[in-house]
Amino acid sequence: MDNKKLKVGLYGFTGCNGCQLTIIHTEDRLLEFFEATDIKSFSLAKSDNDDSELDIALVEGSICNQEQGSHLKDIRKRTKTLVAIGTCACYGGVQSMELGAKGWDKRLKKVYGDNNFSNRTPIESKPIDVFVDVDHYLPGCPINADQFFYFFANLLQENEPIFPDYPVCYECRLKENDCLLLKDILCLGPITAAGCGARCPSHNLPCMGCWGPMKEANFTSEFDLLKEKNFSIQEIKNRFRIFSGSATMKPLKKILGEL
Amino acid sequence: MKEITVEPLSRVEGEGGITIRLDGKKIKDVHFDIFEGTRLIETLVEGKTPQEDVSITCRICAICTLSHRYAALRGLEKALGIEVPPKAQQLRSLMHLGECLESNSLHVYVLALPDFLGYPSAIAMTEKYGDEVLKALSLKKFANHIMEVTSGRMIHGENPTVGGFGKYPENEVLLDIKKKAKEMLEFAEFGANLVGGLDIPDFFDAETTFMCCEPGDNTFGLVGDEIRISNGEVVPCEDYQKLTNEKFSAHSAAKHCTYKGKPFTVGALARMNNLGDRLKGTSGKLFKKYWNERWLKNPLYNNLAQAIEIVWALEQIPKIVDSIVKIKKDPELVQPTQDKGEGVGAVEAPRGTLYHHYKMKDGLVQKANFVIPTGQNLEDCEKYLRKAVEAMIKQDAKDEDMRFQCEVICRAYDPCISCSTHMVNLERE
Repeated sequence: MDNKKLKVGLYGFTGCNGCQLTIIHTEDRLLEFFEATDIKSFSLAKSDNDDSELDIALVEGSICNQEQGSHLKDIRKRTKTLVAIGTCACYGGVQSMELGAKGWDKRLKKVYGDNNFSNRTPIESKPIDVFVDVDHYLPGCPINADQFFYFFANLLQENEPIFPDYPVCYECRLKENDCLLLKDILCLGPITAAGCGARCPSHNLPCMGCWGPMKEANFTSEFDLLKEKNFSIQEIKNRFRIFSGSATMKPLKKILGEL
Repeated sequence: MKEITVEPLSRVEGEGGITIRLDGKKIKDVHFDIFEGTRLIETLVEGKTPQEDVSITCRICAICTLSHRYAALRGLEKALGIEVPPKAQQLRSLMHLGECLESNSLHVYVLALPDFLGYPSAIAMTEKYGDEVLKALSLKKFANHIMEVTSGRMIHGENPTVGGFGKYPENEVLLDIKKKAKEMLEFAEFGANLVGGLDIPDFFDAETTFMCCEPGDNTFGLVGDEIRISNGEVVPCEDYQKLTNEKFSAHSAAKHCTYKGKPFTVGALARMNNLGDRLKGTSGKLFKKYWNERWLKNPLYNNLAQAIEIVWALEQIPKIVDSIVKIKKDPELVQPTQDKGEGVGAVEAPRGTLYHHYKMKDGLVQKANFVIPTGQNLEDCEKYLRKAVEAMIKQDAKDEDMRFQCEVICRAYDPCISCSTHMVNLERE
C-alpha cells in the first residue's frame, strides 16, 4: 500500500445508509475512490476493516444511543479531519424532529413498550456535533455524489472546500421552473441549502428541506410569506421540523416567541 | 463461558452483529443482534400530511426507499379513497422493478458473492473476476438509472407521490431503458448460472414456512393485497398483525416475528418457493434448472433466488415500458375522496414483505404501523444459526469457521438493518 495515500474511514450511525450507498452507487468512481485512498474502514462495502489512525473520517447518521456516542468519540481521537456527511450527521435528520424531550420518552414507550434494551442505551437522536468537533459539514438526504467527490477532491489536495451559500430557489430558477410558492404550495426552497439541483420543484413537487438550512437563511421572510398564504402555524412547524431538528426549529421558535 | 462475536457484521445495510454463547459443547444463546439506533419513525409521522409521510417513511431505508414509499402510498391511498390511473400504476411497477434489480444485484454480486469466492469485498474480487464485477456494477448502475428516471433521484426521490407522480418521464428515456434491459439479460443469465454453480452446505438444512404477496392472475410479482403462505393459506394483507406477531426482543431494536408460534422466511427465496413455478421465459428456465426441495430448507438459496429474480425483472421491464408509452396523456394527481379512513399497503421489498398501515383523520396521519421484512426474518435466521452452530460444535469446528458460517447465513437473508432499525459474539463457559 502506498504510504502517501490518505487513510480514510467511513462510518455509519443511525440513518438509512443512503449517504454511504450514494458513494457505492457511483460504481466507476467508487473504484477510483478506493484506488486514490487507503480505505481503512467501510463496513457497508467490505469486511477487512480496522480501527487504526485516520487522516479523514466520513461520518453518516445521527447518534441514537450512548454506545454510538462513545464510538464516535473514539473515531474523533483517531482522525485528523472529521466530516459529517448527510443531513442526519449534520442536523439530526428525520429522527431528530424536535418533538420535546418528554415527548421522546413517551414515543419510545409507544413503539417499544416498557421493554429494556440489553445491549444499547437509547437516547433521543442528536447530530454528531453534539458529541464531537466536526471539521466539515456536507449535508443532503442523501448527499449528492458530484458534490461529495468535488468536496473530497478538495480535501485530497488540501484545499478548503467551498459549498453553495445560496438556496434551492437559485437552482430552481436556473432550471426555469415555475415557482411553487406563487401557486400557494408550501415550499421550503428559500431557506434550504442548494446542492440537490432543485430536484423536487423540477418534478412539480415542493422542496421538503432535506439539505438542511442555508447559511444565513431568512427564516422570518419565509415564515411571513407562508402566513400570508394562510398556512397555519402547525402546518409550518410540521414542515420546518422534518429534516433539521433544532437547526430550523430554533429560528422558528424565536420568531414565534417560544424561546 | 465462551462468546464468539461478529461485530459489526459487514457488507449489510445498517449496524448489527451476531452473538453465540457456548457452555462447553452446549449452546446457551444464539442471537442476531440489531444495534441500529431507535428512530421511532411510526411516531414521527403522526399529525403529518400524506405527502410529508411518504417523505419521512422512505427515509427508513436507502436501499428499500421505493418499497417504503410504495407501501406507504398503497396504504395512504386506500385510507383516503384514491385510485391512481393505469399510467401511474405502471410507472410505479417500473420503479419497483428498478429497486428490486438494484438491491438484488448489489446483494448478490457485491455483498454476498465475495463469501463464496473467498474475498473480503467485491473490490478485492476485481483482480480475478474483473469482468464479472464490472458487469455486475453496470447492471446495478442501470437499475439506479431506472430509479432515478422514475422517482426523480437514485435515493429518496420524491416524484412518486400521493395520487400519482409529480412528473412523468419522457418516452424516449423509457424506450432507452427497454433497450438496455434487453442488453443486460445475457449477463444476468450468466450471473444466475454462476451463483447456481456454487456449493450450498447442507448441515443446517431444516424446514420452514414462506410468505410473500400474492400478485394474482397466476403471475410472479412484487405487490398484492393478499399474502400467500407456503402451507397453502392466502390471507388478506389487512390481517398482517396475525401473520407477523411482532414482539420485543431485548437484544434487538427490531421487533421479532413469528406465525402460529413458528419462524418464517420472507424475501426472494419465499417468492421463488411460493410463486416460482409461474415464471416463464429465461427466468422460468433457470428456475426449472435449479429449483429443488432443498430450497425449502436452506436460506443460502436466497442468493440464487435473487439472481433469478434479476433475470425476471429484466424480462418484465420491456413489457411495462410498452404499456406506459402507449398511454399518451400524463394524468393529473388524483385527489383524496375522503379525509378519514384506514388502509394497509403491502409490497415485496427486495428482502421481503413490507406492510405500512395508516389511520387517517382530517386528512392527516393519526396512527401508523410498519412491519419490516428484516424483522420478520430475524427469528428464522436465528433458527438456522443455532442449527449450524450445533452441527459445527459436533464437528469441533474452529471459532473462526463458526463465525464465518454464521455471517454467511445472516448475510444470505440480505438483512436491511436500517429498515429493521432494527451481526457474531461467541461466548464459551
